[in-house]
Amino acid sequence: MEEIRIGVFVCNCGSNIAGFLDCKELAEYSKTLPDVTFTRENLFSCSEAGVTDIKNAIIENKLNRVIVAACTPRTHEPTFRAACQDAGMNPFFFEFVNIREHCSWAHKNEPEPATQKAKDLIRMGVARARLLEPQESIVAKVEPSALIIGGGIAGLTATQSLAARGFEVTLVERTNQLGGLMKGLYQIFPGDISAEQLTSEKIETLSKYPNANVMTETNVVDVAGYVGNYVATIQPNKKQEIKKKFGIIIVATGTRSLIPDGLYKYDGKKIITQMHLESLLKTGKFKTKNVVMIQCAGSRNSERIYCSRICCMTAIKSGIFIKQQNPDAKVFILYRDLMCHGVENEEILRRAKELGVRFVKFSEDQPPQVEENSVKVFNDVLGREMEIDYDSVVLATPLIPNEGVESVSKMLKVPLDEYKFFLEAHIKLRPNDFATDGIYVCGTAHWPATITESIHQALGAAARASIHLTREEVEVEPIVSMLVDEDACRGCGLCASVCPYGSIEMVQTSKGIKANIVAVACKGCGTCGATCYKHAIKMNHFTNEQLTAQISVAFNE
Amino acid sequence: MLDVGRHPNVNILAYSEVESLKGDIGNFTATVRKKARYVDEDICNACGDCLVKCPVKKIPDDFDMGLKNRKAVYQYFSQGIPAVMTIDPDNCIYLKKGKCGVCKTKCVKGAIDYEQKDKILELDVGAVIVATGLDVFDPTPLTQYGYGKMKNVITGLEYERLINATGPTGGNLLRPSDGEMAHKVAYVQCVGSRDFNYCNYCSSVCCMYAIKDAMLGREHEPDSESYIFHTDFRNVGKWFQKYEIRGKEEYGINYIRGRVADITEDENQNPILWYEDTETREVKSLNVEMAVLSTAAMAAKGSSELAKKLGVNLSEHGFVAAGLPYPSDTNVPGIFACGFCIGPADIPESVAQASAAANRAAEVVFLGEKKKTA
Amino acid sequence: MENKLKDVLIIGGGIAGIQAALDLGDMGIKVHLVERKPSIGGIMAQLDKTFPTNDCSI
Repeated sequence: MEEIRIGVFVCNCGSNIAGFLDCKELAEYSKTLPDVTFTRENLFSCSEAGVTDIKNAIIENKLNRVIVAACTPRTHEPTFRAACQDAGMNPFFFEFVNIREHCSWAHKNEPEPATQKAKDLIRMGVARARLLEPQESIVAKVEPSALIIGGGIAGLTATQSLAARGFEVTLVERTNQLGGLMKGLYQIFPGDISAEQLTSEKIETLSKYPNANVMTETNVVDVAGYVGNYVATIQPNKKQEIKKKFGIIIVATGTRSLIPDGLYKYDGKKIITQMHLESLLKTGKFKTKNVVMIQCAGSRNSERIYCSRICCMTAIKSGIFIKQQNPDAKVFILYRDLMCHGVENEEILRRAKELGVRFVKFSEDQPPQVEENSVKVFNDVLGREMEIDYDSVVLATPLIPNEGVESVSKMLKVPLDEYKFFLEAHIKLRPNDFATDGIYVCGTAHWPATITESIHQALGAAARASIHLTREEVEVEPIVSMLVDEDACRGCGLCASVCPYGSIEMVQTSKGIKANIVAVACKGCGTCGATCYKHAIKMNHFTNEQLTAQISVAFNE
Repeated sequence: MLDVGRHPNVNILAYSEVESLKGDIGNFTATVRKKARYVDEDICNACGDCLVKCPVKKIPDDFDMGLKNRKAVYQYFSQGIPAVMTIDPDNCIYLKKGKCGVCKTKCVKGAIDYEQKDKILELDVGAVIVATGLDVFDPTPLTQYGYGKMKNVITGLEYERLINATGPTGGNLLRPSDGEMAHKVAYVQCVGSRDFNYCNYCSSVCCMYAIKDAMLGREHEPDSESYIFHTDFRNVGKWFQKYEIRGKEEYGINYIRGRVADITEDENQNPILWYEDTETREVKSLNVEMAVLSTAAMAAKGSSELAKKLGVNLSEHGFVAAGLPYPSDTNVPGIFACGFCIGPADIPESVAQASAAANRAAEVVFLGEKKKTA
Repeated sequence: MENKLKDVLIIGGGIAGIQAALDLGDMGIKVHLVERKPSIGGIMAQLDKTFPTNDCSI
């Protein structure tokens, strides 16, 4: 075996480290550690001069392991790995020891013990470096095609966008019509655009792309594989199922409006939903004069605590249309909080008030009572009960998850949240990604959203997806888990069930059911390795041996 | 933020402004002024040796909302990217009078360069994305709230800096008048927002950030009390209702429906809030140790000048006009917009919109000029 | 990608500008991210933690 020759570089980071720790002593100390053949103190290891110094030292001293004791790997690990690679070393023979964030900054008032601690950290780094193994990046080809599930406004927008870029796109819609919820809508605010026109324009544009394949009355029944290499089984109505390869998948399965059976005497005739009202407005069939709208019908309660985001605006919009079509009509909107966030919504609210739409606030514990011909409600602002006659009561019911979301979730191994909306990778920074690479979400499948928001998200998801499609390959760091002991694996599937990235599949082999780790989909979190009680899984670059060596020298010199 | 700092395809031009834009979709030429920092960005690594002896000490720190002072040579904030120092030419003695030069002698790397000049860059680009964000409303004109006169009336963004571990008080909620810990804090919503005289719209994010601020206050000081005075409580995003409930149940935040009419002060500089409780219809008052104004968010300062340079239309409220059917597009083909500059948006909305704008820009770049808008 | 792709100019280095820059950069498009303040980060960098999960996210 090749002799291990470790070089340790201690960075002063100007005064950030050297101001508190005795860096000279650290360099001297490092020399005494096993297999350390070279040490150096740098003013700034990350500077051009520092990096050149590291490269020269590797070549001149035949170093095959490099340790930099400096700041955080978050900022400079790529810099130092690249330096090692330039000097002919495998970059994974580099080890970072953080003596700034973990030491000098944290113990500014205790320089002596802090220097001791830095010695411990370096000693631990050396122990690990001795056991490091070379690693190669994992690369997989990406099939330059996309599968979009759901043909509402979000799915249509995403399809159009990817098709325009020249990728092969397959859009799968389970009903016989494209458009989703848009089909039932009348005019859309802000801007007063016809929902039908917007949808049909999208559909028409799509038909011009030969690379966009739109399949209605079709279901996706199975998905296997991983980023760049998904294989979907698609079942068109009454036809032979198709197996097709896709690089990425976008989930745009949408949502539906709650049917409020048992709520506020809902009957679908005199007492209807906002969705129903939209379709009546669209066909001009809504003629009643006295309209009472009740908000939060089935939402913001103990059963469904969320706010459905769009219902206040839907009600206000409908109120405006009713007043425009029939200025004599009386429209009351009974609400808890008027959710008119943003610029346009506040303007629309003002317009409704100017047109004479009346607003009455009620509280959750005193909901309106729907009687035969009137609605009784305790007006929270005036502090008294009101009785309002009606011809129609319109209930603003929330958007709820579509039927079948559980099976989509299971099939794609992507999670749902507690309300069964799809759960993205990060609620703030990655709203349209799943934790699993290569699968994205947009529109109301993610959360109730306006049409504008759905379009934004669809374009966003398409942008994210196009990154893989454009690059044509995915490259991942080789810090992944590996099934190292196939005989030990009992095929219990615990590892697959805890993997947050869907990167482990259980497969039938000649030796029975075994875990198969798809390295390119693995993020190296280590959950599977920690879960496997047979110790069949090892974490590349963070092996038990490496970590144990580090820990054991931490407590004895 | 770090990822973008080290991305090989991203050229960060901080401390820079766009001077003009010429050309057409697919072929724009932008003129960008890269202001002189008087520090060589390639050499400086923000070690901080230069500022230790800088004699100019009392410049209000912009990043910390003026709650702390900085020196004439400074780093905008400690995790800032690029991680370099900047010399403020309006306050540096050397740049004004040619004397001093202490920072230069202290910098062992030789990064200080008093002779540095603004650089004018010409960039050829295919598309432009406007993402100029927001600035917060200055509540001084709303004299009933006493901001600027009463020390313990602060804004939401000032509160963010106070409660932040890297902020001027090291994360302790110390009130400005006497440096005492504030245990009883009130949050006043819709300050400047939903107001016909100022921002005639809802800023969208304040209800949620007030809850967050109150939660953080309670986490720092478990015995603290907090009161949020709101009108419509607009928590409409993903998981927001649950957050609102958690604020009440786990953090004991008092939600009071009512618009604060007036803030006065007692002899200990404790703010007194006068309000009508719209649920009981009574005029009441509440003594607190600190009042936080949830000020409106508005289009960033300078965004209308920028819009003129770009030829981009703005709405009457100063936001970039972008709407259906192409909500990422402006009136100028090839110029797209995202984030708060097109209207109030929270972080996930801004991120989704940013990816959407990137998508539209990528279409222009990949498909060349043949593709205009649709 | 034999032809040289055009660059994109992004004005504003807050969370929106940063995200747009990352997406375009990852697609192989060169981006110029212009920010008038001395550092990028925008308002979000000034916030302590962010709703609704109370982490810093920057």
